[in-house]
Amino acid sequence: MLRVENLTKVYKNGEIEVEALRGVSFEVKTGEMLAIMGPSGSGKSTLMHLLGCLDTPTGGRYILDGNDVSNLKEDQLAEIRNKYIGFVFQQFNLLSRTSVLHNVEVPLIYNGVRKRERREIAKEMLEKVGLGERLHHNTNEISGGQKQRVAIARALVNNPSLLLADEPTGNLDSRTEKEIMEIFLQLHQQGHTIILVTHEKSIARYAQRIIYLVDGRISREEVVRDAV
Amino acid sequence: MLFETIKIALRSLFNNKMRTFLSMLGIIIGVGAVIAVISIAVSSREQVTSSISQMGSNLITISPGFRRGRFGGFGSSADNIFTMELGESIVNYCPAVKAVAPNNQTSGYLIAAENNYRVNIVGTTIDYLEINNYSVASGKFFSQYDLDNATDVMVLGSELAEELFGRQSPLGNKITFYYNNQRLVFKIIGVMEEKGMGITGNLNGSAYIPISTYLNKISGSRHIDSFFAQANSSEEAKLAVSQIDYLLFKYTGDRNEYRLMSQDQLLDTINQVTVTMTLMLSGIAGISLLVGGIGIMNIMLVSVTERTREIGIRKALGAKRKHILSQFIVEALTLSSIGGIIGIFIGYFIAYGVANMGGWVLVISLPTVLLAFGFSLIVGLFFGIYPAFKASKLDPVIALSYE
Ligand SMILES: Nc1ncnc2c1ncn2[C@@H]1O[C@H](COP(=O)(O)OP(=O)(O)OP(=O)(O)O)[C@@H](O)[C@H]1O
Ligand SMILES: [Mg+2]
Repeated sequence: MLRVENLTKVYKNGEIEVEALRGVSFEVKTGEMLAIMGPSGSGKSTLMHLLGCLDTPTGGRYILDGNDVSNLKEDQLAEIRNKYIGFVFQQFNLLSRTSVLHNVEVPLIYNGVRKRERREIAKEMLEKVGLGERLHHNTNEISGGQKQRVAIARALVNNPSLLLADEPTGNLDSRTEKEIMEIFLQLHQQGHTIILVTHEKSIARYAQRIIYLVDGRISREEVVRDAV
Repeated sequence: MLFETIKIALRSLFNNKMRTFLSMLGIIIGVGAVIAVISIAVSSREQVTSSISQMGSNLITISPGFRRGRFGGFGSSADNIFTMELGESIVNYCPAVKAVAPNNQTSGYLIAAENNYRVNIVGTTIDYLEINNYSVASGKFFSQYDLDNATDVMVLGSELAEELFGRQSPLGNKITFYYNNQRLVFKIIGVMEEKGMGITGNLNGSAYIPISTYLNKISGSRHIDSFFAQANSSEEAKLAVSQIDYLLFKYTGDRNEYRLMSQDQLLDTINQVTVTMTLMLSGIAGISLLVGGIGIMNIMLVSVTERTREIGIRKALGAKRKHILSQFIVEALTLSSIGGIIGIFIGYFIAYGVANMGGWVLVISLPTVLLAFGFSLIVGLFFGIYPAFKASKLDPVIALSYE
């Protein structure tokens, strides 16, 4: 499904250079659920940005679905993000002052899906995450857990091959956290490929495999359970 | 896709009503000013020129030059030649001239019963009527007999008759003209028809008496203030002017001693003045449009900064540069076009109000409206491009982490 080879990322701010990733290599199989753990500043988010094609690596290769996407142009990356990748963020990142339904429709708009079909798909996805009753609510009228469900529905709406979640439960209480993780587990069981970043072991345990990052390098790998 | 972009842009404008309105204000004022200024200028010019051309374009005025009476002593030589004889010479020696009438004027008070009224008394001859395309509404104008004998008869302008006698007929009444501590009693023999304004001024508020009476009893001199001459036809107006010029130059030897003015020249002058004024005012209005555009750019830049995170989210979800670019350009265009439309209405109402007060017909030209609207769109586009470009260039990772 995806493979990274000796991935590096250097941030340059004037004279100061920060090596956020110092050569990361691993592989993720289709349908796999992978967790990335590590202390703050170890490069987890940086890695997620590269895997999500939001940014390009300084060195190394990134093969997604058999294609090298390490050196693509901005608009080509945008198209990959739109069609092949779904994002779930810690801060939800919903568009404010618009409806739940519209938020889920946005990736479909950029994918050129017609209005009626768009409505259908978005509704269906929201029903799937248990928000069928909240379609026309404003995004600031719903709870954190509900926001994250909207974000998940939005991430899935173009049927992407890869679902990326950067600390998806970081802003949620423990009960909501469990509900959200159950959704991810379900998605995994339905065959979605998922990579999630977390600080907490209890969350990482939902995954089949955990990669530990320290200081921009993989320090160790742990297999939690065999592939379903 | 364009339709979606417009909807996204409209949604975001609608979500920020106050800001949207404020950013449109400059455009509203600019377009409103352009429409108002041009409509008012065009309408008032229409008004003036139409009343002037009512008088016929073959009218020429002949008057002494500005040097008249300088140093309080002897005037220019033109003073000596501006007499009734000059009028006769012009008719005799200028074949393109059909008729000439003297035009002596002075102001004083007319007293009838309990009303008195400050008026212009005009001393002239019968030809005055034809030259000015003017006629009597009731009674009669003074005759050659009145001119020969300097009789005390008077014909009132329409406005004057109404002011002094109301609905009653003034015919046959005696009226006192009070001037320079002198009292002269006239018999009213006629009332003129109503007439528009021209180079001859407001005819309706004047009273007309024989020139002989005027010279004998009011001015006490042989001097004629000015003449009206009529060319044979409007085609011959220019020819008539040059013939009169030739004659007067022969008499005076100096072009500063006299002035010739035709209706055509007057129209030209008025047109020139209004065109210059319209251009100047439009320039000012244009500058306010420009300022409006800068206002839009300002607001758009703020909006881009404020919505950095939204841009990041959209990019993460697959928006390409063109999507973000067009979203913000459409937003700017929407701002400027809605502002433009509101401005057109406001400008129209201002022009309407002014036209109403001035009592003329409002002329709104479609090209003006389209021009102002088009200009506001161009301003919106021009000043929207930079902020939109800035938005489209944002790095998604940085935009997403923007607080
Ligand atoms: N845009 C940037 N410019 C410069 N340095 C950056 C930038 N983004 C991240 N870094 C640096 O790169 C390193 C890795 O950052 P990253 O955000 O990937 O860590 P993280 O593992 O996600 O941490 P956290 O658990 O706190 O989210 C840090 O030292 C950080 O300061
Ligand atoms: Mg992070």
